[in-house]
Parts: sequence; structure tokens; C-alpha cells
Amino acid sequence: MTTSSTLRPGTGDHAVADPGPPAPRRRRGDGAAALAFLTPSIIMFLVFVLAPTVGVLVLSFYNWNLLSDGTFVGLDNFDRLFHDERLLGVYGSTTYMALAILAVNVVLGLLLAVLLETRMPNWLRGFFRLSFLFPFVVSASAVALIWRFLLNKDLGLVNYLLGLAGVDRIDWLGSSAFAPVSIIIVNSWKTIGFSILVYIAGLQSIPKQLREAAIVDGAGAWTRFWRITFPLLSPTIFFLVVINTINSFQIFAEPRVLTQGGPGDSSRTIVEYLYDRAFGDFDLGYASAIGITFALVLVLLTAIQFWFSRRWTHYS
Amino acid sequence: MNIPRRRVALACAVTALAATALAGCASGSDTSSSSGNNNKALEIVYWNYGPAAESGNKSTADAFMASHPDVKVTLTPVTGENWGTYYANVATLIASGKRPDLMVISGEGAQFVHSNNLVQPINQYLEKDAGAKAITADIAQGLIDGFTVKGDVITLTYGWNDMVVYYNTDAFTKAGLEPPSADWTWDDFKATAKKLTADTNNDGKPDQYGFTWASNEIFPGIMPWVANAGGNLTSDDVCAATVDTPQVNKAVTFLNDLIKEGIAPAPMPMSDVFTRFQNGQVAMFGAGRWPIATFLPAGFKAFDIQLYPKGDTYKTVFGGAGYPILKSSQNPDLAWEYQKFTVSDEIEKQYVGTPDKPGDSIPSRRSVAETISKVGVPPANSDLYYNSIDKYPTLVPYPAPAKYSTFESTVLRHLQQIFAAETSVPDGLKSLQSELSGIVTC
Repeated sequence: MTTSSTLRPGTGDHAVADPGPPAPRRRRGDGAAALAFLTPSIIMFLVFVLAPTVGVLVLSFYNWNLLSDGTFVGLDNFDRLFHDERLLGVYGSTTYMALAILAVNVVLGLLLAVLLETRMPNWLRGFFRLSFLFPFVVSASAVALIWRFLLNKDLGLVNYLLGLAGVDRIDWLGSSAFAPVSIIIVNSWKTIGFSILVYIAGLQSIPKQLREAAIVDGAGAWTRFWRITFPLLSPTIFFLVVINTINSFQIFAEPRVLTQGGPGDSSRTIVEYLYDRAFGDFDLGYASAIGITFALVLVLLTAIQFWFSRRWTHYS
Repeated sequence: MNIPRRRVALACAVTALAATALAGCASGSDTSSSSGNNNKALEIVYWNYGPAAESGNKSTADAFMASHPDVKVTLTPVTGENWGTYYANVATLIASGKRPDLMVISGEGAQFVHSNNLVQPINQYLEKDAGAKAITADIAQGLIDGFTVKGDVITLTYGWNDMVVYYNTDAFTKAGLEPPSADWTWDDFKATAKKLTADTNNDGKPDQYGFTWASNEIFPGIMPWVANAGGNLTSDDVCAATVDTPQVNKAVTFLNDLIKEGIAPAPMPMSDVFTRFQNGQVAMFGAGRWPIATFLPAGFKAFDIQLYPKGDTYKTVFGGAGYPILKSSQNPDLAWEYQKFTVSDEIEKQYVGTPDKPGDSIPSRRSVAETISKVGVPPANSDLYYNSIDKYPTLVPYPAPAKYSTFESTVLRHLQQIFAAETSVPDGLKSLQSELSGIVTC
């Protein structure tokens, strides 16, 4: 009983606990106001997220071509997943490209962000920040069109410049080995600005006193990074790992415009494959089954990342 | 202060919600009034591939409403990266409850709309309408046959394209070559392309190529070569794939050899071909009449056209577009009037265009198409467009099975591997045939 009285604000007993500012008292109408503010978001969520998700789930049990009445086929569409000779290959190419894009964003993004936080003239820092961020804000399709022109094997600028250095022409878009590499390069070039921006925000939130204290204690640059910067940046790194994993597994515009998923399926992504089944084959049921399983794969990947993050992420 | 602020915020939020709801209602009521049960209303769906499509369809609709003041025409633009995705988006539109009267389709869509029971054939109108005979007599028979599926005439064709070779006249002059003649052969073509290939910066590799073709489309890509080798990608009834034949093998090998011998660059999408052709990096390519709508407004006129070179045979490959009447139409008779209007002199002249603003396809009416060269729309050899279907009557309608989009993407996927030298021509075509056997069926 005394405890509650000592915690009550205005008793003058600050030695026990600082009650902080008084908690705002709820008033009649607060609930209605909150609901009014939330309603637009709730409606948007219901209409554009939940309803389509439920729709796709229902569709995955049907055979439907958009034009005729759908037929209930139970789990047939999911059974087809196991007999689709191309699907595993497409999962493979998607995973290869997604992991590479993830690595570039997380590792190279961190390196570039740290470099941008070193001493340099403000105008130069501004120039680099703008240069890295600019590709992120332009249309993926427009960017891919320009890259397609640059990466043309026989008439592209990239091979021309490489040729000046004595490098033979590389079939960036037409060979199974280099087509995925081109997608990785173009997508990473486009998205790394976002990672750098988030990293910079994370770096700037680390108290300078900690690094200064470490310098006084004689810690070198690597020790300071590994013992101070990295642990305090780990929530930012984790956030970027999760976001970049989801985004890189869902790339569509770059393979669509640059390589049309080819040659063969070497640069095809699951989202592109799903799109072709839905709007090329008019096989909405099977496309929905691919979409549902792909979403589950991403949820599983994210869950694993959260599980492992407990071992290396520090929030204080 | 808190209470008034919250009240203001609450009022704002409620007002915003109410406004949204009212806007939704207003939008709904507008839609119902424009496409409602008015028998004197038509709703038309078209592929909005760019400003030309929008302005062309709008001017046709405006002209129809001017001549039929009691009719309201509502245009519904539908996007799509190609005809295939446009059809998919129209199907989505219909699935969502829209009931258009007419939709623009290309030859690729004839089988699709027929097999999905979407269209009302116009055979009865062609028989009963007094004016129809005069119209069809002025349209090449091939263009009518190209839109006939199992005896059902799907639509009149307002515009069409045949595949011809575009050549850069400056490149020919620079190489000291005479313009190609209509009777040139594959050997002549290859020799010409070789002479047009050059290493202008002396780095040991060509940077100017004799020929290329679109990697993202079959129609202006391999199809003319396949046809002139005497083959096709499907059977005549479009019920079976025929890609592992000696004829197709010969055509694909010919093109593959152009790449291997450095006469053609690695294939690229059509929009890139246009740019490379205009800047002289590619001297020849194949397409219909649509490139002129890009070249002429850009001020590029240093080009002309010729028939594809003759292989074991010569066949004109063509495709067209029309406004079929949909079964969902509440007023098919009025829709027929509209379809007929799209091939009237007034509208067909739009497809002729002017030297500065050319049409992007060939008018289907012979009498109108003949005016292209008189009006002075480049290229100089423009009469060839219609002559290719009138004077070379061996025709190959573009192969378009009901699952067209899947068919095209499958063919292109395998061709990519062949032209990237990742598989041999026979193995690649054999693999393609195997996959298409489940796609091209009836």
C-alpha cells in the first residue's frame, strides 16, 4: 500500500521513483477520435491488403481464367507446385540474385555509409549522398531501360569502356552466367542509396562520447568499429537485412526489362514467373498458389532472421 | 486547449472520411450514368500503348459522335506492355463486371477472343448490310481471312502491318551499295549485310552492323524468315506447334549464323533497334509500318523499305487490328455501325497521316492505302506496303494460338538461349517443340 502511495505523483518522495510527467487522463471521446484517425488506414488495409490476400488464398483452390466461371479444385494447384519443372530453377535464380543483392546492400552499404561519415568537405559529402540516393527515387523501369542500352553486348557503352582496357565483350544480358549478374548490379545500384541513408541515421545516433572515450582509452579504428559502432548499429543492420531480404526476393522490373528473365530462366524471379502464369497463361489459381507459398517462404525467412537476431542484435 | 484541438482534429478526420465516401458515391454514380442502360451508348476498350493510341481512338470516337449526335461513346483505355498483357487486363476488366461493346484486338487476339467466347462474329452483318460488300471488296481478302476463325469473321480490320525490311539509305550510300531489289535472295541479303558491317573506330570489332531483329517479338523477329523458308511456327489451324521442322531450323540457323559471323549484333528489343537504326549502328531491320511514327516526327527520313529477301519461297507475313463486337454488348447493331465507321474513308485517312504526323499502320482499304505515296508520307517505296499483300498473295497470317502470350514468351525464351550460343539450333528447337506441344492445342 505504501508503495503505491510513494509512487503517486505529488507526494514529494522523489527518492523512491521519479514519476515523470503526469499520465494524460483519458477523456470521453478519446476512443472515437482514435478510431476516426485510424479508420482510413484500417479501410486501406482491409481493401488493399487483407481482402486481396484472402482473395488470393481462395483463388488458389480454384481453376479460373478470369473469363469463365471458376472451378473448385481443392489442393490441385498446390500439388502442381511439386510437378512444375521450372519452378525450382526459378526459385534458385531468385535466391541467387536476392542473396547477392542483400549482401551488397548490407555490406557495401555499411562500408559506404562509414566512409561518408568520415571527415570531408560538406559539399562533397552532399554530392556523394545525393549520388547514392538519386537512383533509389527514380522509376525502376526507366532505369532498367537505360541500363539495357548501356549493357548491350555489341553496341553498349559498358563493353566499349571495358574494351579500352583490353577486356573482351561480355554478353551482359544474353548469357546465363552474366544476365543474373547484370540484374544484381542494376538492382543494387538502385537500392543501395536507401541502405546508406538508414546506416547514416544509425551511425549518427551513436553517442560521440563513447567513441571519444574509446580513443582516450587507446582503442584503434577497428576496435572502435567492432566494439562500439557495430553493436550499437546492430538493430539498424537487422532492419536492413529484413527489409532487403523481402525487397530483393520480390524484384520484378529489372529482370522484366533487362533480360525478360532469360536466357532460359537464368535471371527469372518468382514474382515474374507468378505474373506470367497469371496474366500470360490466365492461370489465376496456380499463380495464387505460387504467391501463397512464396509469401510463406518469405515469412519463414523473416522469422528465422528474427530468431537469429537475438544472438547478435543489441538494443541498449 | 486540448479539447478544442481534438475536436477540430476529429472534425477534420470525419470530414475527410465523409468526403472520401461522397467522392466514392459520386464516382460510382458517374460510372453508372456513362455506361448505364442507355441504348444509344457504346463503351469501347482499347490498348493505351501511348499518346498515338489515345488520340487515334479519341478522334475516331469524336468523329462517330459527330455523325451520330444521339450516341455517346465512352472510351476505356487499358494498359499493357504488349498485346498479350492488354488482353489479360481486359479480361480482368470484364471479370470485374464491365460490359464493353467493342474492344480493339490485333490478329494475335483473334483466337483468344474466339476460344473464350467473348465476341459476336459479324458474318450476318456482312451478309445483310448493303454497304458491307463495297467495304469488303476494297479490303484484301487476306486481311479478312486473317480475322476468320472456324468460319466466323471476328471483325473488319481497320489497319494492318506486313513485315518489310527497313534500310538506312545513308548507310547504303556510304558503303557504295545500290538499294536492294524486291527479288533479292537470302544470299544477296547476307552479302549486303556483310558489306554494311564496319569497324569504324578500328578497335578490331564491328561497331556498325548490317542487320538485326527484335528479340522481344516473334512477328518482326524470326517469323518472316521462317515463312520465307517455307515453314511456320504452328500448323495452319493453329492447333499444333511445328518448330522442329527443317524449314524453321533453316531460318533460325541463318539468323544465328549472322550473329556468329559478326554481321548482326546480339538481338535487342525493338525500341532499342529503332534507336540503333536511326544513329546508324544498325543498317537494316525488319518491322511493319509502325516505325515511321517514331522516325518521321523525330526528323529521321534517311530510310526506305523493301520486301524480305526470298528464301525457298516468298510469303508475306502480316497482322491486323480491328474492333470486334463483344457478346457483352447491349447494342450490337450500333456496335456494328461503329466497327463499320472505323473503316470509313474519314477514319482510314487517319492511318495514312501526313509527312509530319504519319499513321502507324497501313489502312486496310486499298483505295485509301494507295494515297500514302500521293500524300507524300515517307518512305519513298510506301506503295510496297499494300502491294505486298495484293501482288504477293502467298500469305502467312501471324501464328496466334489461343494461349498467345504463353506461346510467344516460350518461343522467345528458347530463342534467347539459341542466339546466346547456349544451345545448338536443333537442340533448342527440339526443346521448344516439346514445351509448345502442351501450349499450342485446340
